[in-house]
Amino acid sequence: MNVKRTSPLHDQVATLNPRWGRVRGMRMAAALAGDETVARESVAVVDLSCLDKAGVKGPEAAPWLEGLGIVVPAQANAWTGLPGSGVIARLGRGEFFLEDGAAGDTAGRVRDALGAGIAGVYPVTRQDAGIALVGRRVNELLVQTCNVNFQELDSESRTVVMTMMAGVAVLVIRQDHQNLPGFRIWCDPTYAPYLWETLTGIAAELDGGPIGTGRLLSQAAKLE
Amino acid sequence: MSARLPLVAGEWIDRSKKFGFDFESERFQGFAGDTVSSALLAAGVRVLGRSFKYHRARSVLSMANHDVNAMFQDGARLNLRGDVEPLRDRMVLAAVNTFGGVRRDRARIFDKLSAVLPVGFYYKAFHTPKAWFPFWERMFRRVTGLGELDFSTPHIRTPKRYDFCDVLVVGAGPSGLCASLAAADAGAKVVLVDENARIGGSLTYQRGGSDDPAAQLRNLASGISAHPNISVRTGTLAAGCYADNWVALVDAERMTKIRARAIIVASGVCEQPAVFHNNDVPGVMLASAAQRLIYRYAVRPMQSAVVLTGNQDGYAAALDLIANGIRVEAVVDLRRTDGGSAEEARVTEAGIRTLRGHCIYEARASGSMVGAAVICPLLTGGEADASRSETVRCDGVLMSVGYAPAAALLHQAGAAMRFDVQVGQFVPASLPGGVFAAGRVNGVYALEDRQRDGSRAGLEAAKYLGFPASAAPVVVRAAVAPSHPYPIFDHPQAKNFVDFDEDLQLKDLANAVQEGFDNIELLKRYATIGMGPSQGKHSNMNAIRVLAKLLGTTPGEVGTTTSRPFFHPVPMSHLAGRGLVPYRLTPLHSRHERAGAVFMQAGIWLRPEFYMTRGKTRLEAVREEAAAVRTGVGIIDVGTLGKMEISGPDAATFLERIYTGRFANMKVGMTRYALMLDDAGVIIDDGVVARLGEQRFYFTTTTTGSANVYREMTRLNTMWGMEVGIVNVTGAYAAVNLAGPRARDPLAGVTNLDLSAEAFPYLGVREAEIAGVPARLLRAGFVGELGYEIHVPADRACALWDALMEAGGVHGIRPFGVEAQRLLRLEKGHIIIGQDTDGLTTPLEAAVDWAVKMDKPYFVGQRSLKIVQRKNPKAKLVGFTLDSATEGKVPRECHLVIRDGKIAGRVTSIAWSPAMEKYVGLAFVSPEIIANGGGFFIRMDGGQMVPARIAKTPFYDPAGDRQKLGA
Repeated sequence: MNVKRTSPLHDQVATLNPRWGRVRGMRMAAALAGDETVARESVAVVDLSCLDKAGVKGPEAAPWLEGLGIVVPAQANAWTGLPGSGVIARLGRGEFFLEDGAAGDTAGRVRDALGAGIAGVYPVTRQDAGIALVGRRVNELLVQTCNVNFQELDSESRTVVMTMMAGVAVLVIRQDHQNLPGFRIWCDPTYAPYLWETLTGIAAELDGGPIGTGRLLSQAAKLE
Repeated sequence: MSARLPLVAGEWIDRSKKFGFDFESERFQGFAGDTVSSALLAAGVRVLGRSFKYHRARSVLSMANHDVNAMFQDGARLNLRGDVEPLRDRMVLAAVNTFGGVRRDRARIFDKLSAVLPVGFYYKAFHTPKAWFPFWERMFRRVTGLGELDFSTPHIRTPKRYDFCDVLVVGAGPSGLCASLAAADAGAKVVLVDENARIGGSLTYQRGGSDDPAAQLRNLASGISAHPNISVRTGTLAAGCYADNWVALVDAERMTKIRARAIIVASGVCEQPAVFHNNDVPGVMLASAAQRLIYRYAVRPMQSAVVLTGNQDGYAAALDLIANGIRVEAVVDLRRTDGGSAEEARVTEAGIRTLRGHCIYEARASGSMVGAAVICPLLTGGEADASRSETVRCDGVLMSVGYAPAAALLHQAGAAMRFDVQVGQFVPASLPGGVFAAGRVNGVYALEDRQRDGSRAGLEAAKYLGFPASAAPVVVRAAVAPSHPYPIFDHPQAKNFVDFDEDLQLKDLANAVQEGFDNIELLKRYATIGMGPSQGKHSNMNAIRVLAKLLGTTPGEVGTTTSRPFFHPVPMSHLAGRGLVPYRLTPLHSRHERAGAVFMQAGIWLRPEFYMTRGKTRLEAVREEAAAVRTGVGIIDVGTLGKMEISGPDAATFLERIYTGRFANMKVGMTRYALMLDDAGVIIDDGVVARLGEQRFYFTTTTTGSANVYREMTRLNTMWGMEVGIVNVTGAYAAVNLAGPRARDPLAGVTNLDLSAEAFPYLGVREAEIAGVPARLLRAGFVGELGYEIHVPADRACALWDALMEAGGVHGIRPFGVEAQRLLRLEKGHIIIGQDTDGLTTPLEAAVDWAVKMDKPYFVGQRSLKIVQRKNPKAKLVGFTLDSATEGKVPRECHLVIRDGKIAGRVTSIAWSPAMEKYVGLAFVSPEIIANGGGFFIRMDGGQMVPARIAKTPFYDPAGDRQKLGA
């Protein structure tokens, strides 16, 4: 059965008069009403929760992933890319978070290979909400929500920041988009409506705001 | 008469922009760049406010953000400090703390009554007769308090922000400017903050009649503005320093929390007043206040002045007066000998009369203003020789007797301070890593020395951060004390104020010490010295001196009071900032909204309390939901439960150590109740453990306990080093409980799982697909009916809910909320951790000792529980019922259990049970009640006593047949 997935931010996005698309079984906004260009030139907030995720932890996690042909970051608090614009982040000595890009399949491959777990490698169910912040004024938004100096992360940075943002535990990496500074944020999905409300509220004060997922993921532009 | 001076070089006012404003129904005019006080003084208004306690006329004291007797209300904005509040066009101002305006304040009668209002009088009076206390309280609240709060004030958005820099320099005086340049030249990113509207510090006003300081400032300022590594923030107060070099910066708009890799405190000093009779009369002010008025705001502070000094700066102030056309009648020097400074020589050359070894014994008022100074020679002990007094007419008195370091940030950063007798002030004895002091706060006074000290601090900070910087020599502190050791003179008529905020006189401190409040912390609290709006910036140092003299010791021995953030008062709006209060929603929130849920807070979660039904009350809706579960099928969102996974060879052993129960012998596919204790044997959490595989468990925690449980488990496993992987999947999984005698019916329609009792018995756990969603199903019985707790990945929760609601439609499925669940579980006698237990409850008291396996080798809390077992419990949780005939008001949770007129417990849960047709509840009761038949009373809010009786739990379905339905 092809079960519909629901973004933890679906209800928030639904109030923005979206044109709906679908990515990996999840309904996402291909575009939102309003002038999205202006939002992006300031700071845009994007729901990317549709991307497939997986997690593994355990003392044997790193060699096991390498055995699957996945290049893992050498150190904790670092990330590298996955085929298809995905991300693998090393959260600790033996803990990894994987997220595929719209076209990748690494996360699913890892889940299938791991099943219920093997010796020294344990599955971690990842249902994180994924949010992207993009735009010239992104730092002005970040300094109102988080005490980490994200300006120290340049566009080449491969650092994973685990911190609190507006009171919520988040993972953050720098990921620019079309020469605009950008960050990816992941958090527990049950906090996502609050974090979205906070981020979009501040973005609005900076003349920015939410834009459709399709602006960052062209696949989401395929309308329902 | 206007007191505005002709154009003064470097003045801060813009004479091309005129602002009109009202002060207490009179119209005035000032300039952009004026402060409220400077504009009023320029307009000839010399009494600006009334004192806090005696309502004495007051005016400018410091012009440095410490003039708490010249505070104003401007509409909804209250307690604006006139000495720094920028003048705006069309302000409508009134002095605070008056009854009828500043000129005709009716409360000035308190000045006449001061003899019967000594310090602490309110501690000693008004406590009897007790019945009068509310009257006195209302009166004092009416009389005291500054400003009037306007409750219709619109919400002001003041979002906080974070910022970062290599070096934060606090204070843009000569030392701060030089420190910034030195650090920035070495490559550091510098943020330079100053609370004033412009940079320059003392260079902007302490000129000694010379143009040199202004020229130096221009030179430094051009270097600062041209430097790419320096960011200047004026009008910004460094209000507090916290761990890891976090500093709170407060400006007009917001609070910024800046993290500096290094901090240079160049915050300077606060000039201190002398203490003599009538030292508060308008026209008596600090020398630096007069200099600020002249050079920043082009205001003539007086026509003719007497300058009281104890250092060379008083002579410099006299020169500034002369340079601006103000007559100096005399310079009264507390020192007996010539200090040898150039300023003293220039004053002598100007033909100004200098009286060395003299003091001002009193200021004589002429109307509301100072009219003369009474000058006396000093005796060898430092007292005034009143028998040889001389009266000198003047309309202004300047006080330049010394300084106190503005060292609050250094204290807060963890600096150790010591009293340096040579400098006459507290100076840093040692500084924490990354914190540096420069300039006068560091005890360095000569202008050139201050600049060198600033450069030294800047280089040291840069070097500390790893920037290439050469070492700079330490600058020697002041060789001649700029502060007089005791500029305080007793007077038979008192009114010689040590603290202008609270109208504290010299005799008040002596009385307090006599009453035994003889250390600085006690003295502060009893006499309230330093507890007013200026927080002792002009009173603490003199209080230390007074106390030292009374105790026959030194200021260093007396020490300082604790310096806590904030350095100045900070608006509440700045503290509040943006409301960043996280909340959590389950993935099914929208489904609940559509079903008409009324939400309640459960920790930080929002949960449906009940679902509103048209035409029904809350109580009726709750009881209907409960009835649906008892007779048909209900569904509740239990996704807020904590959810954890633990895997690995040691998983079962780990759970045995964490929980009180036994899990190693649990079969795969079964669940078991789990109780968690802390080391003291107190219940901290409970849940259900499900064994999914030999080395794989899934378990739940309480809604509010998940984060703590996960943290504690991780901590313990770090210590124990067991081979397990623990994962907190609370947010990753959604969960619903499908409950009721017909619960199987909708479920059977959406799964191929064999739901028969044989295949899936009570307390079993299965993994299967429900409506195409991979799910974990736990046969639970929390509400006492056949129940399936279904856990699914969060992104498919809506799909599950929709499928179950659709399949259950023909079976009358109904969502139920937290209130119905509470009622249903109470009928079963199931406890809720945190409601039916508290921070001291053990399993023995909560009657869940059946879940504790004391014969295990170890579990957390076991050792303490063995000790508790040997003692008689003081209370026990029992079920109780009220008489079924009970009507009207009924007891509520937390009402007290009473036996023989004494408190003997409390109610933890109570509700009307439709199934039992009576009120049932849980309560902690004393063992005596249990031993004596189980009867007791519950005392309600109004004192009414309701009889109750212990009853066996479960109240409903005691055999548990319904939850085991078909098991």
